[in-house]
Amino acid sequence: MTQFLETTVDKFSFKVATDRLYTPEGLWARLEDGQVRIGVTDFFQQHNGDVAFAEVMPVGMALAAGDEIATVETIKVDIMLPSPLAGTITAVNEELELAAELINQDPYEAGWLALVQPANWAADKANLMDPEAYFVHMKAEAEQEAKKI
Amino acid sequence: MSAEDKATRVKAVIVPCSGIGKTYGTVSREAAYEITEELRPEETQLVPLSMLVMGDEATRTAVANHPAVAIDGCKLACASKMVQESGGTVAVELAVLDVYRRHRQFKPQGIAELNEAGYQLAHALAEEVATLVDEMTSDE
Repeated sequence: MTQFLETTVDKFSFKVATDRLYTPEGLWARLEDGQVRIGVTDFFQQHNGDVAFAEVMPVGMALAAGDEIATVETIKVDIMLPSPLAGTITAVNEELELAAELINQDPYEAGWLALVQPANWAADKANLMDPEAYFVHMKAEAEQEAKKI
Repeated sequence: MSAEDKATRVKAVIVPCSGIGKTYGTVSREAAYEITEELRPEETQLVPLSMLVMGDEATRTAVANHPAVAIDGCKLACASKMVQESGGTVAVELAVLDVYRRHRQFKPQGIAELNEAGYQLAHALAEEVATLVDEMTSDE
């Protein structure tokens, strides 16, 4: 069962799952049987608002780390999501086509974006943040945002 | 038509989001204006959410005596919640985002002044509400 690091900033509570790695932009990557599942974080979804549409690159597409893997349109912004790793997309979450709100409702599980066959996971994961590091990064961002309110 | 006549003819109150400075809130209000002023002026009555929040007696009475169509701008669903907290009944709960998902070609932008697509989305939403009001009326 997934464990979480949790914090509350102002009136908002944020969770960071401890069983995966993160990018500073708010994507997570979790190794599962040799493939890497990708999604967005709880902070990402709360910060950017309700998702109207999510479009993930198609199965079979080869990506370098940092290439666009998906775009998300929320009630606030349109965001290009950079892939946390190099590899080939082997599956996309088709549920998002009719229920993009899964990203808001369950960002760490049902709201996943894509499954990627990694090209060089050992190298790419070295560039990702562990949960504790992302938690500190996310909390700082959340506190910065809270000051703007 | 007098206010009293109108009150007896009204079949539903329309309660839009009050989100100021929010695009989807503006869409909800533009749609509410179109429904209550143009599409179904005799059957519907606009209820400003702020009046409910302030506890205005006439507004609370209108909500208590008529089914409400709540149009929410975000998942906080303030319109729906305030209708319920005011003793009213939410007959229909609509979210602007859900309507946009059905009309992706109308991407709303702007806040005080919507872009053209925003007004088109508001119109689509107003049409949906008008249909729902007709269904509510036909049920009587």
